Amino acid sequence: MDITPARAPRARARETITYWKRYWTLYALLALPVAFFVIFRYIPMAYIQIAFKKNNIVMNIWQVPWANNHGFENFIKAFSNRDFRFALRNTIGLNLLDLLIGFPAPILLALLLNELPFRRFKRFTQTIAYMPHFLSWIIISGLALQLFAPTSGLVNILIRRMGGTAVPFLDDPGHWVWTYILLGVWQSVGWNTIIYLAALTNISPELYEAASVDGAGRVRKIWHITLPGLRPTIVTLLIMSLGRILGSEFDRPYAMANKLVTSVSNVLSIFVYNNGIKSSQFSLTAAVGLFQSAVCVMFLLAANSLAKKFGERGIW
Amino acid sequence: MKKVLAIVLTCLLLMPLIAATGAAAGSDEIVDGRFVETKKITVEVYDRGLDGGKTTPENNFYTDYIKEGMLRDHNVEVTFIPVDRWNETEAINNLLAAGDAPDVCVTYSYPTIQTYANMGGVLDMAPYLEEYKDLLPNLWGFLGEFNLYYDRDPESGTVWAIEAKLVNNARTNTFVREDWLAKLGLAEPTTLEEFEAMLYAFKDNAELLLGEDADKMIPLAISYDVGWRIDHLVAAFVPDDLSDKDAYVQGFDDRHLLYPGYKEAIRKVNEWYNAGLVWQDFALYGAGDTTEINLEKSGFVGAFMHNWDLPYRDGPDGIHGGMKTVVGEDAAFIAVESFPNDAGAYRKFLSNPIDRKVFFPATNKEPLASMLYLDWITDIEHKTFLQIGEEGVTHEVLADGAISIIAATNEKIINSQYNIDYTITSNGLDLGDVGLRMRSLGLGYGGVDASYILNAFNASIHEGRVFEHFSCGKIESEEGVDEMLKQKRDAFLAQAIVAKTEDFDKVFDEGMADYLTSGGQAIIDERAAAYAKYYGE
Repeated sequence: MDITPARAPRARARETITYWKRYWTLYALLALPVAFFVIFRYIPMAYIQIAFKKNNIVMNIWQVPWANNHGFENFIKAFSNRDFRFALRNTIGLNLLDLLIGFPAPILLALLLNELPFRRFKRFTQTIAYMPHFLSWIIISGLALQLFAPTSGLVNILIRRMGGTAVPFLDDPGHWVWTYILLGVWQSVGWNTIIYLAALTNISPELYEAASVDGAGRVRKIWHITLPGLRPTIVTLLIMSLGRILGSEFDRPYAMANKLVTSVSNVLSIFVYNNGIKSSQFSLTAAVGLFQSAVCVMFLLAANSLAKKFGERGIW
Repeated sequence: MKKVLAIVLTCLLLMPLIAATGAAAGSDEIVDGRFVETKKITVEVYDRGLDGGKTTPENNFYTDYIKEGMLRDHNVEVTFIPVDRWNETEAINNLLAAGDAPDVCVTYSYPTIQTYANMGGVLDMAPYLEEYKDLLPNLWGFLGEFNLYYDRDPESGTVWAIEAKLVNNARTNTFVREDWLAKLGLAEPTTLEEFEAMLYAFKDNAELLLGEDADKMIPLAISYDVGWRIDHLVAAFVPDDLSDKDAYVQGFDDRHLLYPGYKEAIRKVNEWYNAGLVWQDFALYGAGDTTEINLEKSGFVGAFMHNWDLPYRDGPDGIHGGMKTVVGEDAAFIAVESFPNDAGAYRKFLSNPIDRKVFFPATNKEPLASMLYLDWITDIEHKTFLQIGEEGVTHEVLADGAISIIAATNEKIINSQYNIDYTITSNGLDLGDVGLRMRSLGLGYGGVDASYILNAFNASIHEGRVFEHFSCGKIESEEGVDEMLKQKRDAFLAQAIVAKTEDFDKVFDEGMADYLTSGGQAIIDERAAAYAKYYGE
């Protein structure tokens, strides 16, 4: 009979209808986050073009004429700007130091916490170490001033009372970099251990027992069991950190900086703030932002493929 | 339940899309000074925070007075938009960029206005000032051509902003501790040498002056805004024969950074810094920080330069008032003149009687209503009420008619001195009559002895010089660099002051060279060319 071919599509249609009847609410829920990304992340991307256009934020963006030099005027202006080059140098320098010191710190802390036999003490230490994460950089910079100011700072007062000379923690560019980096570690180390501690719970206790039977000591167990167990997590986080190598936070350098250390504290985000928001050169600073993003993506891709080459999973 | 949630979420999502955009402007017909149709305008007001029991700047007793008055007299509904006073340039920039700027904007930064004017973001006020001159008697009468056309382009005739009037042009002062001078048997310093000797005397006698707190002694306080905080000192190093032309050509920076002699003034402060006479931590604190003011209130500071009446502001909560409580009844800051220049004159560089700049962004759909607003708040009756409030509550009238300000603490508290944040066309007490103003001037400081204020006022303007104003039109190289150059100036001056004596020249010269190559020199050149174009060599 020739009924069957007609029935099949109808059955499929009915299936689709049932499917939608059953699940439309889930899609409705999904609509909100999707709309969020479309409205707040993708539509604004149309404005990236101001990096290639003359500086005008009053006119309709599509009508603003292109910048000179085939639209690359703003990039040329940025790279010939001395302040931009210094900001680039400072951004890379501070981020590299952060990576070098700030990246291994939570791994070490996680290993230390993992070795603690007293669960309560471990919990307690962990909680204390988290706390600074919840302080804003404005508050931390206020604390830093109270502690490290050259004459009125508590630490310097102590040093002087003990017969030493005050340390210019905040007012000498060289010292400031270390204060900046170490305060960064202090603020984030506890929080960043969470992910490593979670990964540690996935390592099978049997491995440790077996190692003990074979006569392995603590250090050997850490080296041969714990660290290899953490490796995928470390690699993933490292890739993500490398993706941020040219990115720059704003609140941390802005809050911590002062007039005496501008030679090291002016990073790209501050450059963008001073020239874009404060001086309304939005095209110039959009060009800087775009350059930053492009470099970050390249680093991310490079780090990811490198990781895959060495047999790790990468992040996608 | 799930369905309801989904519907609610979907509705929430669609709401902003459905929301209608602004209504079209109606007719501009005016009968007896009132619009036939009610107009709505928004007005910027500075927000100085709520410390000291202040009321919200956009909604209080005085805004109600303005709102009611504007509705009654002109049929205009006014809404105030608060903008942070201490980040006003950034804030107004953001509002302009987003197209959300109030209809009536006010800022101290003319370059910001010029930048947006170039992009087509600012209304030209010239046609409205001309066409509706008859409707704006107070504005024309009080500001006159000088302030209204101060920024008029000599070629195109455009007026992007009008200048508020600075009623008294006292600017800065040098303050020293009167009680410390008395304790040490010193006279008020009248020369640089005497001033320096006084700083050393403060330092050397810290134990006598501060007792247990001797190590907290700060003979001279300055801040990150070095230029402002050594204003009188700088004037002593600038040659007296500086011409009006040179003052214009090298006058982009309002701290006079580009005037001849500036470096030597900074060198002096560097010498003092290295001798331990200057607050050693000054550069660590930024704009709006109250650390320094607290040090002054606590009585640890011997001298400082700042706004001409700063220590006396805020009555008992101010520096002068605070010291009376913390230190003792005789503690006081007094204004002195210590810095004669090469001609022996106590020169101060005072500004022309201009103040904040008022402008209308291009998004302003009610320029006439906005103009009428400016006229309304300039009306002497309205302005007087805004400045001194109600009799018996915020002021009392003395036998000679002088107005004495009472610091109110209730909802009628005056947030900014004489409510200058509302009287945006005027800065400084103006009661219409000069004699009355002078008699009242010293009584506006909530309990501070009037003699201090009158002394400070005279010290601030004595032998002052106001340079001639030249209308040279817009200087393109000044656009977009104002804030960046300010940052550079503040940073390199602070760095030069804390430099070791032998490094001073290097630090200052490098900083100045960077300032000039980053835009400073281009401005000087363009100003010189513009001057030559309109006024000849």
